Amino acid sequence: MADIEERQSLLGNVNGESDSKEPDKPRSAISDPTRLLHRIVVLIFMCFLGFGSYFCYDNPAALQTDIIQDMNLNTSQFMQLYAWYSWPNVILCFLGGFLLDRVFGIRLGTIIFSLFVCVGQVIFAAGALLNHFWLMEAGRFVFGIGGESLSVAQNTYAVNWFKGKELNLVFGLQLSMARLGSTVNMNIMGWVYNRVADLISYKGPTTLGTALMIASVTCLFSLACALVLGYLDRRAEKILKKEQGKTGEVIKLTDVKDFPLSLWLIFIICVGYYVAIFPFIGLGQVFFIEKFNFSTAEARAINSVVYIISAPASPILGFLVDKTGRNVIWVMCAVVTTLVAHMMLAFTFWNPWIAMSLLGVSYSLLACALWPMVAFVVPDHQLGTAYGFMQSIQNLGLALISMAAGAILDNRGYLFLEVFFCACICISLIAVVVLYLVDFLQAGEMNLSAAARAKLHEQTRLQEAASLQKEAPSDSEMLQNEDRLTGLKPRSAFGLRNRYLSRLGAQLPDHCSSHLSSLGHRSLLK
Amino acid sequence: MELNPGLNSSISPPRPGVNLIHIRSLGNDDTLHFLLYPQKTPASSFLSPYQLSSFQWEPLDNSSLDPRGPTVRLCGGDGSPAFSSGALCLQLSAFGSGGREAGWPGLLHSANSSQVRVWLQGVLPRGVHSRFLLELHGLGRPFSLGRVEVQQFIDDEYTPSIFTVTQWLAAPTNLSSPVLGFVQWKPVAYRQPHPIFTDATPCHHSSPLAVRGASASGLVLAFYGAEAEASGLNISFGLAGEPSYNTTKYLSWSVLAGIGDPPMDSFSPLVLSIMAVGLGTPLLILLLGGLFVCVRRHRLAEWQAYRPIN
Repeated sequence: MADIEERQSLLGNVNGESDSKEPDKPRSAISDPTRLLHRIVVLIFMCFLGFGSYFCYDNPAALQTDIIQDMNLNTSQFMQLYAWYSWPNVILCFLGGFLLDRVFGIRLGTIIFSLFVCVGQVIFAAGALLNHFWLMEAGRFVFGIGGESLSVAQNTYAVNWFKGKELNLVFGLQLSMARLGSTVNMNIMGWVYNRVADLISYKGPTTLGTALMIASVTCLFSLACALVLGYLDRRAEKILKKEQGKTGEVIKLTDVKDFPLSLWLIFIICVGYYVAIFPFIGLGQVFFIEKFNFSTAEARAINSVVYIISAPASPILGFLVDKTGRNVIWVMCAVVTTLVAHMMLAFTFWNPWIAMSLLGVSYSLLACALWPMVAFVVPDHQLGTAYGFMQSIQNLGLALISMAAGAILDNRGYLFLEVFFCACICISLIAVVVLYLVDFLQAGEMNLSAAARAKLHEQTRLQEAASLQKEAPSDSEMLQNEDRLTGLKPRSAFGLRNRYLSRLGAQLPDHCSSHLSSLGHRSLLK
Repeated sequence: MELNPGLNSSISPPRPGVNLIHIRSLGNDDTLHFLLYPQKTPASSFLSPYQLSSFQWEPLDNSSLDPRGPTVRLCGGDGSPAFSSGALCLQLSAFGSGGREAGWPGLLHSANSSQVRVWLQGVLPRGVHSRFLLELHGLGRPFSLGRVEVQQFIDDEYTPSIFTVTQWLAAPTNLSSPVLGFVQWKPVAYRQPHPIFTDATPCHHSSPLAVRGASASGLVLAFYGAEAEASGLNISFGLAGEPSYNTTKYLSWSVLAGIGDPPMDSFSPLVLSIMAVGLGTPLLILLLGGLFVCVRRHRLAEWQAYRPIN
């Protein structure tokens, strides 16, 4: 409730205030922050804000053979480029919201993170030009500091400029832009490298460095968008007399002890799943060249299929999951489909386009079904911590498994690597199955259909409103209400305490967050 | 394994230049004899070929024999400046039982086969991007060209990133008749003595053709007589765009030769056990859990039917 009110005060509902203070200056539709056209312009800049970061994130995968040959690496050294991106984000996931709200503010914070992305990519390219691999790793580290936090900022901008149904569309567009950046990178960087090689008739670290410098132009472009967005946001703040937007996210690490078993299972599913996707794409190009005898261009194209498919599939599947509910079943479908896809790639020579398409669809499905589940098992004021933890563990897993994947490939080849990925997915599958059982036993709401879930929330809301108005009901009445609505649901001491406090009309803890819709969608960009 | 059998008496030392290795493999029904004698094999390439017939091989003595394998090593050069600091070497390994060599390409062998490893080490290249080609001859009686099969295999555990096996089978053209002998190799060569993943370079083969007028060595004439006929194919190493021989000055390739059907690779036990555990555990949990859910639902339905009336 407070969410909607706050958003309204940010934008449309300012007729009384501004008129009384200033003379009514007629503005063109495009420069009036309250009008749709201006917000569309802002949306365009918002979408391109993340383009550079996503374009450059997968540069190593797009140029795998060239990097390995020019810098004279083995595969596990190559995968360090991905590991170093993930390491800073193990910590930064917790700090991103704090930095954007309390330290820098959204505008300056966005510009700073964009700067990190830009500088990081330039250092990465310089490392190649100077033929120092450690400098390239350092560049990826700096790039990582900016990359993930930039998507938090992007989401916060979206929440502050758009509301209600528009917000879903905006998130969808941001996701599509991100995927577009990744796809373009996969298919173009190889061509750029070859052109540079033709131009200077030499294939070596200099060629690589030049190609990567060219890629950093996209980061400069994103930095420009960040500057423009900052200016537009400040202008809107002055015109509309609103405050700077906030992520509203509060991290309280002590909340970790209250995380239920279901949440830990969700963490396991998340880690087990994503470590079988991103490192695989990182090493995919050479896999398709060696096993399926693809040409380099074909291998790059098929490597980008996962991203191409997830751009349109994510909004559609998200809509589907929202309408039908039953998240656990969807997650199980996604995990099983991914397992089938990996087994096809490992144990058969069937056309890999089929397997990669399956992978793309299931990856999108999982993202749409898994991340919202966190909101069903964790109270609102702990969502920030829960999501931060989930992303932190995800990054930790990615960093470790990227290095392990490189080492496995060096020593045991592709079949063993695929079997390893299958094993990770099996761990995810075990966690999903256990989650289904736990949810069933605890009569939780994760696997309810959307209609049943809405009914449950409505009844709970009515019940709480009714009990706050009159005296506390008798014990047996309370028990009966509970039984009817939620089945035999054991409550933790923490949950009981919260219910008691809300019945008394007491204040919930300070770190109650209102900007929660952004949290679920931020993770869709991963 | 014997060196120069019958000529090792102290009374008349073997003439220089006579080098013969004889390995005897005793089986239940038969005995296999492996003979290694430096052959004269012409090679053809775009530059004038190195004529192995004009090679001077190091004399074979006990240092080039290793009875543990048993293996025997043979190195030599043609005396030109290119070979001043390097050599072409051959290593023959015979086996008493099935198994797999430790390093790459990890060919699976049986007691009916022996492995030859050929490598160039330190030889100065004559071009800027040198690529090498080896001509392989097969001799036989009765004679047929045989056929070359390329088989795909999904397991690359022992030879990372190589998913095919090439076999040159000595068999009559009738496909159903048994294979008499084989030469098997993986289409990869390595640019380092202890290669890492990225040191692999591909190799390609041509179709087998009859070779006329091949200068056969004395051993072949002695064994097969004048009726011996030869067929040959070329193995070329490297690919345009890959790093060439010049970068490391080392190129090594292994080939397995033997009698009967070539050995077929299979999954390692580790892979099979990981897949079994990985797929079996969730299935088991699903089954048990599903059973539990059904029982629970049934009990719940029973309980709700008997709710006490207050």
